[in-house]
Amino acid sequence: MLSLYRAGYSPWHRLAAGPKALLLIVIVLGVSLLPVSWPGPAVAAAIAVGCYAVPGIGLRELRRQLVAVRWAIGVTAAGQLVFLGPGPAAANTTRVGAALVISALLALTTPVGALLDALERGLKPLDHLGVDRQRVALLLIVTITMLPVLARLAHDVREAQRARGAPPGLRHFAMPFLVVALKHADALGDALTARGVR
Amino acid sequence: MSALLLDEVSVRWGDVVVLRDVTCALDARTIAVIGENGSGKSTFARIVGGLTPATRGTVRVLGLDPARDAARLRRRVAMVFSNPDAQIIMPTVAEDVAFSLRSDKLPREEKRRRVRAALERFGLDGIADRSAHDLSGGQKQLLALCGAFVREPDLVIADEPTAYLDARNARRVTGHLLGKGSHRLLLVTHDLDLAKRCDQVVFIQDGTIAAIGDPAPVVAAYEAHLAC
Ligand SMILES: Nc1ncnc2c1ncn2[C@@H]1O[C@H](COP(=O)(O)OP(=O)(O)OP(=O)(O)O)[C@@H](O)[C@H]1O
Ligand SMILES: [Mg+2]
Repeated sequence: MLSLYRAGYSPWHRLAAGPKALLLIVIVLGVSLLPVSWPGPAVAAAIAVGCYAVPGIGLRELRRQLVAVRWAIGVTAAGQLVFLGPGPAAANTTRVGAALVISALLALTTPVGALLDALERGLKPLDHLGVDRQRVALLLIVTITMLPVLARLAHDVREAQRARGAPPGLRHFAMPFLVVALKHADALGDALTARGVR
Repeated sequence: MSALLLDEVSVRWGDVVVLRDVTCALDARTIAVIGENGSGKSTFARIVGGLTPATRGTVRVLGLDPARDAARLRRRVAMVFSNPDAQIIMPTVAEDVAFSLRSDKLPREEKRRRVRAALERFGLDGIADRSAHDLSGGQKQLLALCGAFVREPDLVIADEPTAYLDARNARRVTGHLLGKGSHRLLLVTHDLDLAKRCDQVVFIQDGTIAAIGDPAPVVAAYEAHLAC
Protein backbone atom coordinates (compact mmCIF):
# COMPACT_ATOMS: atom_id res chain seq x y z
CA MET A 1 0.00 0.00 0.00
CA LEU A 2 2.83 2.36 0.79
CA SER A 3 4.83 3.76 -2.04
CA LEU A 4 8.29 4.76 -1.00
CA TYR A 5 10.24 7.73 -2.28
CA ARG A 6 12.17 7.12 -5.46
CA ALA A 7 14.83 9.59 -6.48
CA GLY A 8 14.21 11.15 -9.90
CA TYR A 9 13.96 14.27 -11.99
CA SER A 10 10.33 14.38 -13.03
CA PRO A 11 8.30 17.59 -12.84
CA TRP A 12 6.67 16.13 -9.73
CA HIS A 13 10.08 15.69 -8.12
CA ARG A 14 10.97 19.29 -8.87
CA LEU A 15 7.87 20.74 -7.26
CA ALA A 16 8.34 21.82 -3.64
CA ALA A 17 6.66 19.52 -1.13
CA GLY A 18 4.08 22.00 0.16
CA PRO A 19 2.67 23.24 -3.18
CA LYS A 20 2.83 19.69 -4.53
CA ALA A 21 0.76 18.37 -1.63
CA LEU A 22 -1.80 21.14 -2.17
CA LEU A 23 -1.94 20.53 -5.91
CA LEU A 24 -2.39 16.79 -5.43
CA ILE A 25 -5.11 17.34 -2.85
CA VAL A 26 -6.94 19.56 -5.33
CA ILE A 27 -6.59 16.95 -8.10
CA VAL A 28 -7.70 14.12 -5.83
CA LEU A 29 -10.69 16.15 -4.64
CA GLY A 30 -11.54 16.97 -8.24
CA VAL A 31 -11.38 13.31 -9.20
CA SER A 32 -13.59 12.27 -6.30
CA LEU A 33 -16.16 14.93 -7.19
CA LEU A 34 -16.47 13.80 -10.80
CA PRO A 35 -19.92 12.47 -11.67
CA VAL A 36 -20.45 8.72 -11.45
CA SER A 37 -22.12 8.73 -14.81
CA TRP A 38 -20.16 8.51 -18.04
CA PRO A 39 -17.75 10.12 -18.82
CA GLY A 40 -16.81 10.81 -15.17
CA PRO A 41 -14.82 7.61 -14.56
CA ALA A 42 -13.07 7.88 -17.89
CA VAL A 43 -11.99 11.42 -17.04
CA ALA A 44 -10.74 10.20 -13.63
CA ALA A 45 -8.69 7.47 -15.27
CA ALA A 46 -7.38 9.91 -17.86
CA ILE A 47 -6.28 12.34 -15.14
CA ALA A 48 -4.44 9.55 -13.31
CA VAL A 49 -2.72 8.49 -16.52
CA GLY A 50 -1.91 12.11 -17.26
CA CYS A 51 -0.30 12.59 -13.85
CA TYR A 52 2.01 9.63 -14.43
CA ALA A 53 2.68 10.18 -18.12
CA VAL A 54 5.36 12.78 -17.51
CA PRO A 55 9.06 12.43 -18.25
CA GLY A 56 10.82 10.70 -15.36
CA ILE A 57 7.86 8.69 -14.04
CA GLY A 58 5.94 6.90 -16.79
CA LEU A 59 3.14 4.39 -17.09
CA ARG A 60 5.27 1.52 -15.83
CA GLU A 61 5.30 3.27 -12.46
CA LEU A 62 1.52 3.68 -12.68
CA ARG A 63 1.23 -0.06 -13.12
CA ARG A 64 3.47 -0.65 -10.10
CA GLN A 65 1.30 1.64 -7.99
CA LEU A 66 -1.89 -0.03 -9.19
CA VAL A 67 -0.45 -3.38 -8.19
CA ALA A 68 0.49 -1.90 -4.80
CA VAL A 69 -3.09 -0.75 -4.11
CA ARG A 70 -4.77 -3.81 -5.64
CA TRP A 71 -6.23 -4.89 -2.31
CA ALA A 72 -7.81 -1.54 -1.62
CA ILE A 73 -9.23 -1.54 -5.14
CA GLY A 74 -10.44 -5.12 -4.78
CA VAL A 75 -12.17 -4.44 -1.47
CA THR A 76 -13.83 -1.30 -2.87
CA ALA A 77 -14.98 -3.15 -5.97
CA ALA A 78 -16.41 -6.05 -3.94
CA GLY A 79 -18.28 -3.76 -1.55
CA GLN A 80 -19.75 -1.63 -4.31
CA LEU A 81 -20.65 -4.65 -6.37
CA VAL A 82 -22.74 -6.03 -3.52
CA PHE A 83 -24.57 -2.81 -2.79
CA LEU A 84 -24.72 -0.95 -6.10
CA GLY A 85 -24.42 -3.46 -8.92
CA PRO A 86 -21.79 -3.76 -11.67
CA GLY A 87 -22.15 -0.42 -13.48
CA PRO A 88 -21.79 2.00 -10.56
CA ALA A 89 -19.26 -0.36 -8.93
CA ALA A 90 -16.94 -0.14 -11.93
CA ALA A 91 -17.35 3.63 -12.07
CA ASN A 92 -16.72 4.18 -8.35
CA THR A 93 -13.81 1.76 -8.23
CA THR A 94 -12.17 3.59 -11.11
CA ARG A 95 -12.50 6.89 -9.27
CA VAL A 96 -11.16 5.46 -6.00
CA GLY A 97 -8.27 3.77 -7.80
CA ALA A 98 -7.44 7.00 -9.63
CA ALA A 99 -7.52 8.98 -6.39
CA LEU A 100 -5.25 6.43 -4.66
CA VAL A 101 -2.57 6.35 -7.34
CA ILE A 102 -2.63 10.13 -7.71
CA SER A 103 -2.13 10.66 -3.98
CA ALA A 104 0.69 8.08 -4.06
CA LEU A 105 2.63 10.55 -6.22
CA LEU A 106 3.34 12.65 -3.14
CA ALA A 107 5.23 9.96 -1.25
CA LEU A 108 6.74 8.65 -4.46
CA THR A 109 8.35 11.92 -5.49
CA THR A 110 9.04 13.64 -2.16
CA PRO A 111 11.77 12.65 0.31
CA VAL A 112 10.29 12.10 3.75
CA GLY A 113 12.54 14.78 5.22
CA ALA A 114 10.98 17.34 2.86
CA LEU A 115 7.50 16.00 3.64
CA LEU A 116 8.20 16.40 7.33
CA ASP A 117 9.33 20.00 6.84
CA ALA A 118 6.30 20.82 4.68
CA LEU A 119 3.98 19.18 7.16
CA GLU A 120 5.49 21.19 9.99
CA ARG A 121 4.97 24.40 8.05
CA GLY A 122 1.48 23.38 6.96
CA LEU A 123 0.43 22.71 10.54
CA LYS A 124 1.40 26.21 11.60
CA PRO A 125 -2.25 27.31 12.14
CA LEU A 126 -2.40 24.70 14.90
CA ASP A 127 0.00 26.80 16.98
CA HIS A 128 -2.97 28.88 18.14
CA LEU A 129 -4.52 25.77 19.61
CA GLY A 130 -1.39 25.03 21.59
CA VAL A 131 -0.56 22.00 19.45
CA ASP A 132 3.11 21.09 19.19
CA ARG A 133 3.24 20.72 15.41
CA GLN A 134 6.79 19.34 15.39
CA ARG A 135 5.51 16.45 17.44
CA VAL A 136 2.42 15.97 15.31
CA ALA A 137 4.44 15.91 12.09
CA LEU A 138 6.96 13.53 13.61
CA LEU A 139 4.22 11.28 14.93
CA LEU A 140 2.70 10.99 11.47
CA ILE A 141 6.02 10.24 9.81
CA VAL A 142 7.05 7.69 12.44
CA THR A 143 3.68 5.98 12.11
CA ILE A 144 4.15 5.70 8.37
CA THR A 145 7.66 4.32 8.63
CA MET A 146 6.60 1.91 11.37
CA LEU A 147 4.01 0.20 9.19
CA PRO A 148 6.45 -2.12 7.42
CA VAL A 149 7.99 -3.02 10.78
CA LEU A 150 4.58 -3.83 12.25
CA ALA A 151 3.86 -6.01 9.24
CA ARG A 152 7.07 -7.91 9.88
CA LEU A 153 6.39 -8.21 13.61
CA ALA A 154 2.95 -9.62 12.81
CA HIS A 155 4.57 -12.12 10.49
CA ASP A 156 7.10 -13.11 13.17
CA VAL A 157 4.37 -13.62 15.76
CA ARG A 158 2.44 -15.86 13.40
CA GLU A 159 5.57 -17.85 12.58
CA ALA A 160 6.40 -18.32 16.24
CA GLN A 161 2.88 -19.53 16.92
CA ARG A 162 2.90 -21.89 13.98
CA ALA A 163 6.24 -23.27 15.17
CA ARG A 164 4.58 -24.10 18.47
CA GLY A 165 1.48 -25.53 16.85
CA ALA A 166 -0.94 -22.83 17.92
CA PRO A 167 -4.10 -22.72 15.82
CA PRO A 168 -4.54 -19.68 13.60
CA GLY A 169 -7.01 -17.10 14.82
CA LEU A 170 -7.25 -13.54 15.97
CA ARG A 171 -7.66 -14.43 19.61
CA HIS A 172 -4.28 -16.14 19.85
CA PHE A 173 -2.64 -13.54 17.67
CA ALA A 174 -3.81 -10.21 19.08
CA MET A 175 -2.24 -10.37 22.53
CA PRO A 176 1.31 -11.40 21.61
CA PHE A 177 1.27 -9.01 18.66
CA LEU A 178 0.18 -6.15 20.88
CA VAL A 179 2.98 -6.95 23.29
CA VAL A 180 5.74 -7.01 20.67
CA ALA A 181 4.32 -3.94 18.96
CA LEU A 182 4.30 -1.99 22.23
CA LYS A 183 7.81 -3.19 23.06
CA HIS A 184 8.93 -1.99 19.67
CA ALA A 185 7.23 1.37 20.19
CA ASP A 186 8.98 1.64 23.55
CA ALA A 187 12.40 0.94 22.02
CA LEU A 188 11.69 3.37 19.21
CA GLY A 189 10.80 6.00 21.79
CA ASP A 190 14.21 5.50 23.39
CA ALA A 191 15.89 5.82 20.01
CA LEU A 192 14.00 9.05 19.34
CA THR A 193 14.98 10.49 22.71
CA ALA A 194 18.59 9.45 22.22
CA ARG A 195 18.63 11.21 18.87
CA GLY A 196 17.60 14.50 20.36
CA VAL A 197 13.80 14.48 20.04
CA ARG A 198 12.39 15.90 23.23
CA MET B 1 35.39 16.45 37.92
CA SER B 2 35.20 12.95 36.51
CA ALA B 3 33.48 12.43 33.19
CA LEU B 4 30.99 9.97 34.71
CA LEU B 5 30.09 10.42 38.32
CA LEU B 6 27.49 8.43 40.24
CA ASP B 7 27.00 9.03 43.92
CA GLU B 8 24.79 6.68 45.95
CA VAL B 9 22.56 6.10 42.93
CA SER B 10 19.60 3.76 43.31
CA VAL B 11 16.97 2.78 40.79
CA ARG B 12 13.86 0.86 41.69
CA TRP B 13 10.89 -0.33 39.68
CA GLY B 14 8.08 -0.65 42.16
CA ASP B 15 9.43 -2.87 44.89
CA VAL B 16 12.35 -4.19 42.88
CA VAL B 17 15.66 -2.47 43.45
CA VAL B 18 17.57 -2.65 40.18
CA LEU B 19 20.57 -0.53 41.16
CA ARG B 20 21.54 -0.19 44.80
CA ASP B 21 23.69 2.69 46.10
CA VAL B 22 26.02 2.73 43.15
CA THR B 23 28.94 5.07 43.63
CA CYS B 24 31.70 5.44 41.09
CA ALA B 25 33.84 7.99 39.26
CA LEU B 26 34.90 6.95 35.79
CA ASP B 27 37.48 8.77 33.70
CA ALA B 28 38.87 6.32 31.18
CA ARG B 29 38.12 7.08 27.53
CA THR B 30 36.64 3.64 26.86
CA ILE B 31 34.71 1.86 29.59
CA ALA B 32 33.13 -1.60 29.40
CA VAL B 33 30.23 -2.71 31.60
CA ILE B 34 29.94 -6.46 32.19
CA GLY B 35 27.77 -8.70 34.34
CA GLU B 36 25.14 -11.40 34.22
CA ASN B 37 21.73 -11.10 32.55
CA GLY B 38 19.49 -8.93 34.67
CA SER B 39 22.32 -7.59 36.83
CA GLY B 40 21.54 -3.98 35.94
CA LYS B 41 23.95 -3.12 33.13
CA SER B 42 21.37 -1.63 30.80
CA THR B 43 19.86 0.33 33.64
CA PHE B 44 23.32 1.69 34.46
CA ALA B 45 23.79 2.72 30.82
CA ARG B 46 20.33 4.31 30.66
CA ILE B 47 21.03 6.31 33.82
CA VAL B 48 24.20 7.68 32.27
CA GLY B 49 22.37 8.39 28.99
CA GLY B 50 19.56 10.15 30.80
CA LEU B 51 16.85 7.77 29.58
CA THR B 52 16.06 6.48 33.06
CA PRO B 53 16.01 8.83 36.02
CA ALA B 54 17.72 7.77 39.22
CA THR B 55 15.27 7.12 42.03
CA ARG B 56 17.87 8.39 44.47
CA GLY B 57 21.39 9.79 44.34
CA THR B 58 23.43 12.13 42.19
CA VAL B 59 24.45 11.62 38.57
CA ARG B 60 26.88 13.80 36.60
CA VAL B 61 27.69 13.04 32.99
CA LEU B 62 30.33 15.27 31.40
CA GLY B 63 29.58 17.65 34.25
CA LEU B 64 25.84 17.73 33.44
CA ASP B 65 22.91 16.59 35.51
CA PRO B 66 20.76 14.40 33.21
CA ALA B 67 17.62 15.38 35.10
CA ARG B 68 18.17 19.13 34.74
CA ASP B 69 20.32 19.57 31.62
CA ALA B 70 18.56 16.97 29.47
CA ALA B 71 18.70 19.03 26.29
CA ARG B 72 22.40 19.80 26.64
CA LEU B 73 23.17 16.20 27.53
CA ARG B 74 21.33 15.03 24.39
CA ARG B 75 23.55 17.19 22.25
CA ARG B 76 26.73 15.62 23.64
CA VAL B 77 25.74 12.02 24.28
CA ALA B 78 24.66 9.50 21.63
CA MET B 79 23.25 6.03 22.27
CA VAL B 80 23.22 2.82 20.28
CA PHE B 81 21.05 -0.16 21.23
CA SER B 82 21.07 -3.86 20.32
CA ASN B 83 17.97 -4.14 18.18
CA PRO B 84 18.82 -2.69 14.78
CA ASP B 85 15.14 -2.47 13.76
CA ALA B 86 14.03 -0.29 16.63
CA GLN B 87 16.57 2.42 15.84
CA ILE B 88 15.46 3.28 12.34
CA ILE B 89 13.22 6.30 12.22
CA MET B 90 13.19 7.53 8.64
CA PRO B 91 12.54 5.40 5.55
CA THR B 92 15.79 5.80 3.65
CA VAL B 93 19.39 5.45 4.83
CA ALA B 94 20.46 9.04 4.14
CA GLU B 95 17.29 10.49 5.64
CA ASP B 96 17.67 8.43 8.75
CA VAL B 97 21.19 9.77 9.29
CA ALA B 98 20.02 13.31 8.55
CA PHE B 99 17.27 12.89 11.15
CA SER B 100 19.92 12.98 13.88
CA LEU B 101 20.72 16.57 12.93
CA ARG B 102 17.12 17.80 12.61
CA SER B 103 16.96 19.69 15.86
CA ASP B 104 20.52 21.05 15.55
CA LYS B 105 20.80 24.66 14.49
CA LEU B 106 23.34 24.09 11.76
CA PRO B 107 23.25 25.59 8.26
CA ARG B 108 21.61 23.24 5.77
CA GLU B 109 24.79 22.91 3.73
CA GLU B 110 26.79 21.95 6.83
CA LYS B 111 24.21 19.31 7.73
CA ARG B 112 24.40 17.87 4.25
CA ARG B 113 28.18 17.80 4.39
CA ARG B 114 28.17 16.03 7.74
CA VAL B 115 25.66 13.43 6.59
CA ARG B 116 27.68 12.71 3.48
CA ALA B 117 30.91 12.39 5.47
CA ALA B 118 29.27 10.08 8.02
CA LEU B 119 27.76 7.86 5.32
CA GLU B 120 31.20 7.52 3.76
CA ARG B 121 32.87 6.79 7.06
CA PHE B 122 30.48 3.91 7.75
CA GLY B 123 30.56 2.62 4.20
CA LEU B 124 26.91 3.45 3.58
CA ASP B 125 27.38 6.01 0.82
CA GLY B 126 26.62 3.41 -1.84
CA ILE B 127 23.20 2.66 -0.36
CA ALA B 128 22.23 6.16 0.74
CA ASP B 129 18.85 6.09 -1.02
CA ARG B 130 17.93 2.51 -0.17
CA SER B 131 15.03 1.71 2.13
CA ALA B 132 16.51 1.50 5.62
CA HIS B 133 14.12 -1.23 6.74
CA ASP B 134 15.25 -3.52 3.92
CA LEU B 135 18.92 -3.54 4.94
CA SER B 136 20.58 -6.52 6.58
CA GLY B 137 20.93 -6.52 10.35
CA GLY B 138 24.61 -5.62 10.08
CA GLN B 139 23.94 -2.75 7.72
CA LYS B 140 21.15 -1.50 9.98
CA GLN B 141 23.47 -1.46 12.96
CA LEU B 142 26.11 0.43 10.97
CA LEU B 143 23.32 2.86 10.09
CA ALA B 144 22.48 3.23 13.79
CA LEU B 145 26.14 3.97 14.52
CA CYS B 146 26.23 6.43 11.65
CA GLY B 147 23.15 8.18 13.05
CA ALA B 148 24.90 8.39 16.43
CA PHE B 149 28.30 9.56 15.19
CA VAL B 150 26.96 12.15 12.75
CA ARG B 151 26.13 14.26 15.80
CA GLU B 152 29.82 14.26 16.75
CA PRO B 153 29.06 13.22 20.33
CA ASP B 154 31.53 13.49 23.18
CA LEU B 155 30.23 10.26 24.69
CA VAL B 156 28.79 7.23 22.92
CA ILE B 157 26.80 4.75 24.99
CA ALA B 158 26.35 1.37 23.34
CA ASP B 159 24.21 -1.35 24.92
CA GLU B 160 25.22 -4.71 23.44
CA PRO B 161 25.53 -3.22 19.97
CA THR B 162 26.74 -6.49 18.45
CA ALA B 163 24.16 -8.81 20.01
CA TYR B 164 22.40 -9.53 16.70
CA LEU B 165 25.40 -9.45 14.39
CA ASP B 166 27.63 -12.03 12.72
CA ALA B 167 31.34 -12.01 13.51
CA ARG B 168 32.36 -9.80 10.60
CA ASN B 169 29.72 -7.15 11.21
CA ALA B 170 30.41 -7.29 14.94
CA ARG B 171 34.07 -6.56 14.17
CA ARG B 172 33.10 -3.63 11.97
CA VAL B 173 30.84 -2.15 14.64
CA THR B 174 33.36 -2.53 17.46
CA GLY B 175 36.05 -1.18 15.15
CA HIS B 176 34.09 2.05 14.84
CA LEU B 177 33.25 2.20 18.53
CA LEU B 178 36.76 1.52 19.81
CA GLY B 179 38.59 3.10 16.90
CA LYS B 180 40.33 6.40 16.70
CA GLY B 181 38.32 9.43 17.61
CA SER B 182 37.84 11.91 20.35
CA HIS B 183 34.65 10.36 21.69
CA ARG B 184 34.40 8.56 25.00
CA LEU B 185 32.69 5.17 25.03
CA LEU B 186 30.51 3.36 27.55
CA LEU B 187 30.03 -0.14 26.20
CA VAL B 188 27.72 -2.74 27.74
CA THR B 189 28.79 -6.16 26.50
CA HIS B 190 28.79 -9.89 27.15
CA ASP B 191 31.87 -10.25 24.94
CA LEU B 192 34.70 -10.44 27.45
CA ASP B 193 37.45 -10.17 24.82
CA LEU B 194 35.86 -6.94 23.77
CA ALA B 195 35.68 -5.73 27.37
CA LYS B 196 39.41 -6.40 27.71
CA ARG B 197 40.08 -4.01 24.84
CA CYS B 198 38.56 -1.12 26.80
CA ASP B 199 40.59 1.05 29.16
CA GLN B 200 38.46 0.35 32.20
CA VAL B 201 35.87 -2.28 33.15
CA VAL B 202 32.90 -2.12 35.50
CA PHE B 203 31.52 -5.44 36.75
CA ILE B 204 27.95 -5.16 37.96
CA GLN B 205 26.37 -7.87 40.08
CA ASP B 206 22.84 -7.75 41.53
CA GLY B 207 22.57 -4.02 41.04
CA THR B 208 25.83 -3.11 42.72
CA ILE B 209 29.36 -2.65 41.47
CA ALA B 210 31.26 -5.83 42.26
CA ALA B 211 34.55 -4.72 40.77
CA ILE B 212 35.93 -1.80 38.85
CA GLY B 213 39.34 -1.06 37.35
CA ASP B 214 41.81 -2.41 34.82
CA PRO B 215 40.28 -4.86 32.34
CA ALA B 216 42.35 -7.97 33.10
CA PRO B 217 41.66 -8.34 36.84
CA VAL B 218 38.01 -7.26 36.61
CA VAL B 219 37.23 -9.65 33.75
CA ALA B 220 39.04 -12.38 35.69
CA ALA B 221 36.88 -11.67 38.74
CA TYR B 222 33.74 -11.94 36.60
CA GLU B 223 34.93 -15.21 35.01
CA ALA B 224 35.63 -16.61 38.47
CA HIS B 225 32.12 -15.62 39.51
CA LEU B 226 30.62 -17.31 36.44
CA ALA B 227 32.59 -20.49 37.13
CA CYS B 228 31.01 -21.09 40.52
N1 LIG C 1 11.16 -0.74 32.96
C1 LIG C 1 11.34 -1.72 33.86
N2 LIG C 1 10.33 -2.11 34.66
C2 LIG C 1 10.51 -3.09 35.56
N3 LIG C 1 11.65 -3.76 35.75
C3 LIG C 1 12.68 -3.43 34.97
C4 LIG C 1 12.60 -2.39 33.99
N4 LIG C 1 13.79 -2.29 33.37
C5 LIG C 1 14.58 -3.21 33.94
N5 LIG C 1 13.94 -3.90 34.89
C6 LIG C 1 14.51 -4.98 35.72
O1 LIG C 1 15.75 -4.56 36.19
C7 LIG C 1 16.68 -5.62 36.24
C8 LIG C 1 17.93 -5.23 35.54
O2 LIG C 1 17.64 -5.02 34.18
P1 LIG C 1 18.75 -4.58 33.14
O3 LIG C 1 18.06 -4.50 31.83
O4 LIG C 1 19.44 -3.38 33.61
O5 LIG C 1 19.74 -5.82 33.14
P2 LIG C 1 20.97 -6.15 32.20
O6 LIG C 1 22.18 -6.32 33.05
O7 LIG C 1 21.06 -5.17 31.11
O8 LIG C 1 20.56 -7.56 31.62
P3 LIG C 1 20.85 -8.20 30.18
O9 LIG C 1 22.26 -8.70 30.19
O10 LIG C 1 19.89 -9.34 30.12
O11 LIG C 1 20.58 -7.16 29.16
C9 LIG C 1 15.97 -6.81 35.63
O12 LIG C 1 15.56 -7.65 36.67
C10 LIG C 1 14.79 -6.23 34.93
O13 LIG C 1 13.72 -7.12 34.94
MG1 LIG D 1 20.72 -5.24 29.04
